[in-house]
Amino acid sequence: MASLQASADRTGGVRFLGRRRAYARLLGRGAVLLMATLGLYRFWLMTDVRRFLWVNTAIDGETLEYAGTPLELVLGFLVAVAVLVPVYAGFFIAALDLGAIGEMAGVAAFLGLGVLGQYALYRARRYRLTRTIFRGLRFTQDGSALVYATRAAAWWLLTALTLGLAYPFQLASLERYKMRHTYYGALPGRFAGAGWKLLLRGLPLWLLIVAPIALAIAAFIEAVDWTALSAAVAQGGDNVMGRVEGGNPALGEVVVFAVLMVVLSVALAALLYPVFQAIVLRWWTSGLRFGAIEARSKLRIRQVYGAYMRFLWWSLVFTIVLGLLAIPLLILIGVLAGKMPETGAGDIAATLVGLGGYVVAALGYSTIYRATVQLSLWQLGGETLQLSGLDLLDHVEARGGASSPLGEGLADALNVGGY
Amino acid sequence: MANTVQAPTAGAGVFFDGRISTRRDVRVTLGARTLTIDDVSGRLLAEWPYEEIDGLPAPDNVLRIGRHGNALLERLEIFDAAFAAAVDARAANVDRSGGMQHRQRLAVVGLSMGAVASLLVVAWFGVPALATRVSPLLPVAVERKLGAAVDMQIRSSLDTRHAGAAFECGAGKTEARAALAHLTQRLEAAAALPLPLTFTVVHRPEANALAIPGGQVYVFEGLIDAARDADELAGVIAHEIGHVAHRDGTRAVLQGAGLSFLFGMLLGDFVGGGAVVIAAKSVLQSSYSREVEAAADAYGVGLMQKAGGNGRALGTILVRIGGATEPGMKILRDHPDTRARVATIERLAPAVAGPSMLSMQEWTALRGICKG
Repeated sequence: MASLQASADRTGGVRFLGRRRAYARLLGRGAVLLMATLGLYRFWLMTDVRRFLWVNTAIDGETLEYAGTPLELVLGFLVAVAVLVPVYAGFFIAALDLGAIGEMAGVAAFLGLGVLGQYALYRARRYRLTRTIFRGLRFTQDGSALVYATRAAAWWLLTALTLGLAYPFQLASLERYKMRHTYYGALPGRFAGAGWKLLLRGLPLWLLIVAPIALAIAAFIEAVDWTALSAAVAQGGDNVMGRVEGGNPALGEVVVFAVLMVVLSVALAALLYPVFQAIVLRWWTSGLRFGAIEARSKLRIRQVYGAYMRFLWWSLVFTIVLGLLAIPLLILIGVLAGKMPETGAGDIAATLVGLGGYVVAALGYSTIYRATVQLSLWQLGGETLQLSGLDLLDHVEARGGASSPLGEGLADALNVGGY
Repeated sequence: MANTVQAPTAGAGVFFDGRISTRRDVRVTLGARTLTIDDVSGRLLAEWPYEEIDGLPAPDNVLRIGRHGNALLERLEIFDAAFAAAVDARAANVDRSGGMQHRQRLAVVGLSMGAVASLLVVAWFGVPALATRVSPLLPVAVERKLGAAVDMQIRSSLDTRHAGAAFECGAGKTEARAALAHLTQRLEAAAALPLPLTFTVVHRPEANALAIPGGQVYVFEGLIDAARDADELAGVIAHEIGHVAHRDGTRAVLQGAGLSFLFGMLLGDFVGGGAVVIAAKSVLQSSYSREVEAAADAYGVGLMQKAGGNGRALGTILVRIGGATEPGMKILRDHPDTRARVATIERLAPAVAGPSMLSMQEWTALRGICKG
């Protein structure tokens, strides 16, 4: 393991030591316990998952250590509840008090919670970093979560206004902010990825997905007789649609074309999502820097598709098992409904089975997703990296302490947890 | 004795001192009370008492230990299985077999299940009891505001065809509106509630009516079609006034808010949690509403008699519409058996053949309120 001889520019890689089966077992047991405890077990499961991923990730032959505990997450969650309860109550009262303006309060609440979510994201990252120990030193993060949340909100607005074209620059800018405030020991991090590079790589995807929708809109503008349409709508009454159709004989065909185009766009988006993920992951990991230590990713798109194929295969198996299990339950419902129609036992049983089935299915698919796609992305993201400048790793000095788990709790209550 | 297998008392390890990331190959010696770490040249790097040694997360084939409560993140890694077992045997807080963790997890799962059980008890008994106590204390003004907020939601979910004026019936039908006003004013006068009621007939095919906190009552077109005479329609409206008088809508809203708070907020982002909340709400609420509906029936019968109408009319229309006085009722069957309800109504109301609450001419006009 030890290699004390120092060449001028030592290179190395990341290896993942964990076994898929062990991880799947951990997640499966966790899913059952999540159900039994209505989700309270998630703090323990999340800690187990992180411990597994961290300790099995060896950078240049030395594994990471995850030092976070479930109780910290519970504490953070309780603090988050204490923060969020007055906020929710405030919005509720505002909605009651202001009547029509109350609708606006809903929008404001949505936006406000979105900004709070970004705040939580930054704090949660800090929590995870400070609980990550490598070669006896801690990772740390400074910077202001408030500043980050403000920047992120502004970027999201810009991304929405440019139909996603600003997204690469958003990622680059936010990642620069995060990495600029990240340290391994006293070694500062930075992010060297350029937004325009990601834009160039992602532009073909964007065009493929936007083009069908643009075509549909163009067809509408071309085919619709706008004066007839506005006349038909302005007249009002019950038969607006009938008159709209009468005034625009070509409208039916255009609607069919538009629907087909939207379906095409959605299908392309689903099919190309792994490509997008691979491009972003490769670009992101290739931009990570700690001092003179540089990373370069050799991730291939087909590797990410492989992960999704595994997900589809196990999902198919799970669906078949679920279907077979559902048959006796459906028969039971039928018998109950047939024998005692007036008590509604059949209806109640159907509601319970439907509810249970929904929870089992949702939890099952998300567990399969974690055990296949998420694990593979973690593994691939690391193992395709080539690290250079590793001489530096032998003499990084310590700095910083642990941080509060508050952000993690907020992130949990606002559903933006992640790894 | 030379060949007996003995647990090793010294071995190799890798040490990080927590000040600098330098990796050091070290020699570890197990003493009587302490573990000592020396570098290859024999210089002492650290000496840890066994009771202060913590086992730390590490890959399967590695023992990673540190010193408890140490601000410095000193880490010692041992790769040799036999030597790792020897360290484990001496340090109580090193838990390589996972037995300690297993016991902790059992306690967590047990306590969590207890918490879930107590949450369910609170949801089942506590929330309804609280809502029942709080709803009569709410000032009318608050109730009206609550009603306005709920009304917006309900309107948008009822008005599925096209939002707008066409959803409400009676535009330009003075005679029909006068007939409705005549009917409802008699009932409202007899009820003498602290808040004014608003009655609106809407374009919906179901034979239902709906009372919302704050005194808004929606009568569906389908109910007017299903009624044979004005008293049957008045019977259902009286039942709805009963819901307003008992503040059932307000209580349901408080219950819903309480339940979604309990499950949604405290339990957080459990996958599918949202669906659980909604289903829990409808299942729980359907179980309260049996008594609630019976109480509204009794109120409705009494109100009809006070207003000079036929108390049994509610019973006769109930049989025809299958007991579903509110939308969505059939799906969960949250009514007592319709026959039992009708029997109760007949017990409460003597058979009378008085004059109808509306004249034949008024009733004909009212029946046409949504037509044309």
